[in-house]
Amino acid sequence: MNITKLTCAAGLFLAAGVVGCNNDSLTNLNTNPNNPSSAPPGPVFTNAARLSTGRFVGNGFDLRQTEFVAQHWAEAQYPDEDRYARLDPASTQGTWNGAYPGEMKDLKGVAQAGIALKQPGTYGPAQVLLAWDYEYLTDTWGNIPYSAALAGDSVGGSLTPAFDSQKDIYTGLLATLTKAAADMSSATATNTLGSADPIYGGDPAAWAKFANSLRARLAMRLVNVDPATANSQLTAALNDPAGVFTSNADMAKLVWPGDGIYNNPMTDNFVTRDDHRVSQTLANILFANNDPRVPILMQPVADSSRSGPRGYFGMPNGLVTSAAGVYIKTASRPGLYLWPGATSVGTIGSAANKKNPSYIMTYAELCFIEAEAAQRGMGGLTPGQAAGFYTAGITAAMTQRGVAAGDIATFLAQPGVVYAGGTAGLTQIAVQKWISMVDDGAQSWAEWRRTCQPSTIVAGPGAVINYVPRRFYYPTTEYSINAVNVAAANGAQGADNFGTRIYWDTKPTAAPTYVSAQVCAGTPGTG
Amino acid sequence: MLKLFTRITSVTAALAMVATAAAAQESGTITGHVRTESGGPLTAASVTVGSLGLGGYTNDQGVYTVTVPASRMNGAAVTLTARRVGYSPKSVTIKLSGGMIQQDFSLTANATNLSGVVVTALGVSKEKSQLGTAIQTVSSDALNATHDDNVVNQLAGKVSGVQITSAGTQGGSTKITIRGANSITGNNDPLFIVDGTPVSNYDRGGSPNGGMDFGSAINDLNSDDIASITVLKGPNAAAIYGSRGANGVVLITTKRGSASANGIQTSITSNYTWDTPSILPKFQNLYGQGAGGEFQFVDGAGGGVQDFNDQSFGPRLDGRTMGCTFIPNTTTYDQTAPCTQFTSPVVNGVLQPIPWVAHPDNVSSFFQTGSTFSNNVAFSGGTERATGRLSAGVDNTTGVIPNNTFRKFSSSLAGNFNVSSRLSTSANVQYISNKGYNRAGVGYNQGILEGLYVWFGRQVDMNALKDYQPRADQTFACNGQFNWNCNYHNNPYWIQYQNPEADDRDRIIGSASAKWKITDWLNATAQTGTDYFRANIDQNYGAGNINYDDLAYNGAFTHFQNRNNENNSSLLLTADKRPTSWLQLNATFGANRRYATYNSGSVATDAILASGIYNVSNSAKSPTVNEDVERRQTNSGYGSGSFTINDIWTVEVTGRNDWSSTLPKGNNSYFYPSINSSLVLTDLAPFLKNRVLSYAKLRGSIANVGNDAAPYQLATTYVGNANKFGSLPQYTLTDTRANPTLKPENTNSGEVGLELGFLNNRATLDATYYAKATTNEIVNLSLAGETGFTGASLNAGKLTNKGFEALFTVIPIQTASGFQWTSTFNYSANRSKLVTLYPGVNNYVIGSTWTINEEARVGQPYGAIFATPYKRDAATGELLLSGGLPQNDAGNRRVLGNVNPKWLGGWNNEVRWGRFSASALLDIHRGGNIYSVTNMFGQYTGVLASSINGRQVDWDNPGLVIKGIDQATGKENTVNVTSENYYQSLFENGEAFLYDDSFVKLREVRVGYDLPTSFTRSLRVSSANIAFVGRNLWTHSKVPNIDPEFAYTTGNYQGAEFAALPTTRSLGFNLRITP
Repeated sequence: MNITKLTCAAGLFLAAGVVGCNNDSLTNLNTNPNNPSSAPPGPVFTNAARLSTGRFVGNGFDLRQTEFVAQHWAEAQYPDEDRYARLDPASTQGTWNGAYPGEMKDLKGVAQAGIALKQPGTYGPAQVLLAWDYEYLTDTWGNIPYSAALAGDSVGGSLTPAFDSQKDIYTGLLATLTKAAADMSSATATNTLGSADPIYGGDPAAWAKFANSLRARLAMRLVNVDPATANSQLTAALNDPAGVFTSNADMAKLVWPGDGIYNNPMTDNFVTRDDHRVSQTLANILFANNDPRVPILMQPVADSSRSGPRGYFGMPNGLVTSAAGVYIKTASRPGLYLWPGATSVGTIGSAANKKNPSYIMTYAELCFIEAEAAQRGMGGLTPGQAAGFYTAGITAAMTQRGVAAGDIATFLAQPGVVYAGGTAGLTQIAVQKWISMVDDGAQSWAEWRRTCQPSTIVAGPGAVINYVPRRFYYPTTEYSINAVNVAAANGAQGADNFGTRIYWDTKPTAAPTYVSAQVCAGTPGTG
Repeated sequence: MLKLFTRITSVTAALAMVATAAAAQESGTITGHVRTESGGPLTAASVTVGSLGLGGYTNDQGVYTVTVPASRMNGAAVTLTARRVGYSPKSVTIKLSGGMIQQDFSLTANATNLSGVVVTALGVSKEKSQLGTAIQTVSSDALNATHDDNVVNQLAGKVSGVQITSAGTQGGSTKITIRGANSITGNNDPLFIVDGTPVSNYDRGGSPNGGMDFGSAINDLNSDDIASITVLKGPNAAAIYGSRGANGVVLITTKRGSASANGIQTSITSNYTWDTPSILPKFQNLYGQGAGGEFQFVDGAGGGVQDFNDQSFGPRLDGRTMGCTFIPNTTTYDQTAPCTQFTSPVVNGVLQPIPWVAHPDNVSSFFQTGSTFSNNVAFSGGTERATGRLSAGVDNTTGVIPNNTFRKFSSSLAGNFNVSSRLSTSANVQYISNKGYNRAGVGYNQGILEGLYVWFGRQVDMNALKDYQPRADQTFACNGQFNWNCNYHNNPYWIQYQNPEADDRDRIIGSASAKWKITDWLNATAQTGTDYFRANIDQNYGAGNINYDDLAYNGAFTHFQNRNNENNSSLLLTADKRPTSWLQLNATFGANRRYATYNSGSVATDAILASGIYNVSNSAKSPTVNEDVERRQTNSGYGSGSFTINDIWTVEVTGRNDWSSTLPKGNNSYFYPSINSSLVLTDLAPFLKNRVLSYAKLRGSIANVGNDAAPYQLATTYVGNANKFGSLPQYTLTDTRANPTLKPENTNSGEVGLELGFLNNRATLDATYYAKATTNEIVNLSLAGETGFTGASLNAGKLTNKGFEALFTVIPIQTASGFQWTSTFNYSANRSKLVTLYPGVNNYVIGSTWTINEEARVGQPYGAIFATPYKRDAATGELLLSGGLPQNDAGNRRVLGNVNPKWLGGWNNEVRWGRFSASALLDIHRGGNIYSVTNMFGQYTGVLASSINGRQVDWDNPGLVIKGIDQATGKENTVNVTSENYYQSLFENGEAFLYDDSFVKLREVRVGYDLPTSFTRSLRVSSANIAFVGRNLWTHSKVPNIDPEFAYTTGNYQGAEFAALPTTRSLGFNLRITP
């Protein structure tokens, strides 16, 4: 027993405890022996890049929520998400409550550290990836906390951040990307993250191209609500000296180690779950154009008695459980590339698929943005350039999926595929873009809301609402711990439900448009 | 402590002086047995010579020794009094002469709990009449009326103000709360102290969402070694313990040896019970596996029709062998399609049709009759100088599910050595080894019962599953198992035999103390004690286990280990003086140093190479490893002082200052005081006494208690990840925002109590009203994710508890022939309310299961259930239906109930008649809500009998027309829906599966017989009792299908149930042999 200490305590008590013991040793005992109070930016960035990618183009938010809304895939066994029944606030809040504290806080921390060090090679990639995260969140919910967010441990930082309007968020993100691209292409930008950057190995020039390409994505999303800004931002982004993606080699992707610890998250899902089937929305579009991606994006059906063309078959979205079950056998599983080899239903795919990249933004998407900009005469492009970008987009998307060059040429030569120009051309661009975005449900859903393409996306017969959601409900947690601000957001944006349209989701006004007057809702029977 | 600190109620300075002077001379001894009327030994009874200020306590054989200075052995007649709480005191006059005086007592049980000596805070024994706070003592006999592997379970129903919730699985955690929760996010367990040493009730529990419940560490204690348990009910009685007493204290005194003339004495306890699940769900047996009325087994993974499906909305179980599926695009059964099942015989590689029939007992037959066999033997004895007790006990439990066992070995050695007449020393050590094998997983993940209770086919032949190895001619792969479903579930036997789980905890609790008698009224005691345990949990998963990620590999494992140690060293000065005949003064000063460490580590992989080798060197990929170290220290100084006037009025003040390592400089020293007073009204105003009222005492207390934080809450840190991303290290800032300016939290508590005795104490009432409020709570408050953090350490909130507790005891019948009926009723009612939380934040989520939250919400009781109601018509309140189905009103989630019982009661009746005794304890739980996921999923999957509505005739016949208003038309609903669609529409509905958790349990039954003296004498023992015992024999509950009582953890998240193993109904025999 420590007699000194005891005597000290006892003595003090007897002396009415006027002064405290020298308690330095007590205080030192409370220094955390497990975790440091600071960490170098590199490992923090690595972790944030992994989490961001896994979250938005990985297993939960993508594979189980947005992909059903976007109708690349359908749910054959537990169709609650596909019926929008489990897109309730409690089910979707994990993305919100995971992303902000999980990776966005750390990306902000890396950006701040990089700014303090005056290293664009550190803060640039963090800012770009943070903008990419924000875009997913705001396009899912509309108004979200942005300017006051991620400040929980700053002096004076808000523990109940206000929500920003989506308009302001887009303005902020575009400004951030513009500055980041400029800073990273400057002479002082050096490779400071190095190999800790699992996306571009710390190359600031590659990040600058991604920043400009992402800017183009954001700009095009504003085309209906604010064509002028869309045009000026597209022009600036596409003509930025730092450049945009020019080949598949430039695209932003995260290659998974596939070591059993960090596998492609979709392959991890398909190890034990076999309840996804290809949506008939996707299947029918692929079938209609003899798309060579059919055997890549789909697998032959188990029950040949109910197969469609060449043994492949899609299933309708949004069925009730009892109606959906039959499609386990009679509809195609999603492509082999998503499957890890040994699964609970036998060997499907290969172990190499665990290393497949998750695509953060593809070159094909940029081509389709350029094609649309050209068709609209925006971004400094002319309608005459549209066909070239359209062809380049299809070629990039097919190459990305491993389609042989000859098959691409055959596909491109088909009458329904050859670029038609005008509104028909815009529709072709949108549909091809949507196909290219298989396994990125959130972007596909956003593009459908903006373009209403494919027009065959309608709520399923068992859906709990008779339209396709325009946004998700705010998290339940917001109502309990940031109640005043979420109420203000609802006041500004509209009621918190599936039907309220976010800022950029307006009736198309920029000519030419996809749908003349009708506000596409995805309601069955209205097309 | 009883022996350490012998305090006599009336000491005069003059006598003390004489005694001191005489100490060197030869002394005399008064010794003897104190027994119950039936001859059993009475432990911890005090025997005093009041006029001389001398006395002693009985040991666990009921033997007392009083040493009398030789100068007093002068032939004077004095009064010798034996007293014990719960018994009428008895006095005899003896003559002090000779060296050794033998005097035995036989005390009559008395309902009164109002007078006598009780152990209080710091182990100090006091007269109950002088206490200003509420405490209650449970004797060894009452505690051990029946046996349970968890001593806390044995307290259930016996102490007012205490809520005990038994574990949701055998060997699991039992939750104990005294007077409601004080802390919003922290620990609400009482402090457990064994012989002056705080001991851990560390818990590694599960949750309704999954995991395993490895039990609470207090399970380690051997109840046969316990002499008595004193419950200090909250901050008032426990104020001197400071921070740690805020939730009350459970003081455990273990048995000690004593000087005995007959050499070593041996006592034996033996208990054997047969255990069965007390409640099983009621299943339907009309419909088998499948959905939409169809089922055909091909590969259990979707190869047949609905054969991947783990629900029971398939075809009617009418013995058909053909026609279990429809002709395509119709609902007409195809009579050419064979009804194949997983048990179908195989001919030429093809499954053959077999009759489609129910297996009504398929779930119940998985359970077996378990057993608990416990034996304890204790030896004790000694001389005047030195005494000792050695005890060893073994508990062997065979679980109610296959291949599940628990073993506990406990041993205890306690010794006292009187170095001189002034210096006495004492030491004790307990070693406990606790082992569990193949515990039942709880809740949704790993839970063996989720597979049996809800996701199961009613036609599944459990007997066929016993042989879980794949059959030679098996046509389907099924992950290398023989099983009814290959997509989602392991064969339950496969889990128990191929996913081996083993856990063990080795523990040492020990203390040593020395007491120096400075003068007759002043003592100094130094004590040091330790509680150390080391625990391992090995969870292994065999090749083919369906729940782990990489099927290419041959198994997986998680190995967890921890070490927990707390050392306390203290110095205590106690003074007790009676300067004049009407005044008694007491004072205590002490200091304590507490140093605690916790280390844990785990290594896990979901891929091993060689099957069956669960060693990290056999990992097929980088294993996941973790380690964690925590250290904390608290230095304390404390003291109390009291005066008693004329044995009528007592006032005591206490104060304590803590210096804690877990709070920042400047805030880490905090002081808290308390004051209490008691007044014996019937002595103050004797005219109050009459034929009815024999005793009345009023008491009251006000206390203030602080509390520190968990370690490392002051600085936000980065957490590394031992797994590299490829080769890249990873760090992230923790999601909990730290707080460098934390302050101690503060509980204010007041109580008033009244103790009444009637009809010469044949009936007594001890009642307390209390109110307490905790402010400045150190909470890990949930933050909105957009702050970048999910939680923050903050001082926030105000949580209040008010309540009433009472203990009423009456002896309705007592006859000269020795017949006595004693009835005891205890009652507790607590109301909690969260008054404030944090600006802008009105809610903290304690836990979440599916869509229900259990919350601390401003304006609500702690543990409010926030859930999804039905969508209803605003005008009529009727259900709003869509397509004939009820809707979940997710946008209108709100508080629909709370987990707190309205009141708790325990009613014990004991009848003694000669050698026979019989007792029965009813445990009553009134009100409060629970949320049952078993009921939700059991209807969703159509296995429960309650899901049969709408398919009494066929799978879609007659269907259901739900009463309500059609949302589209606004008219009364007329749409007929199938049973399947109706029950599945209730998924995630909170309102439908929230139940009133009122229940009554016949907790304990004991029918005992004391063997005749002639017989015991031939065995050379003083008594032997054989009894028939039973626990949880009967339950009355409003909750269908499940045991209304369950806990997965000692943590704060209680009240949400999913697939908990019911408490066991135990019946058996008990034998006690006392020397």
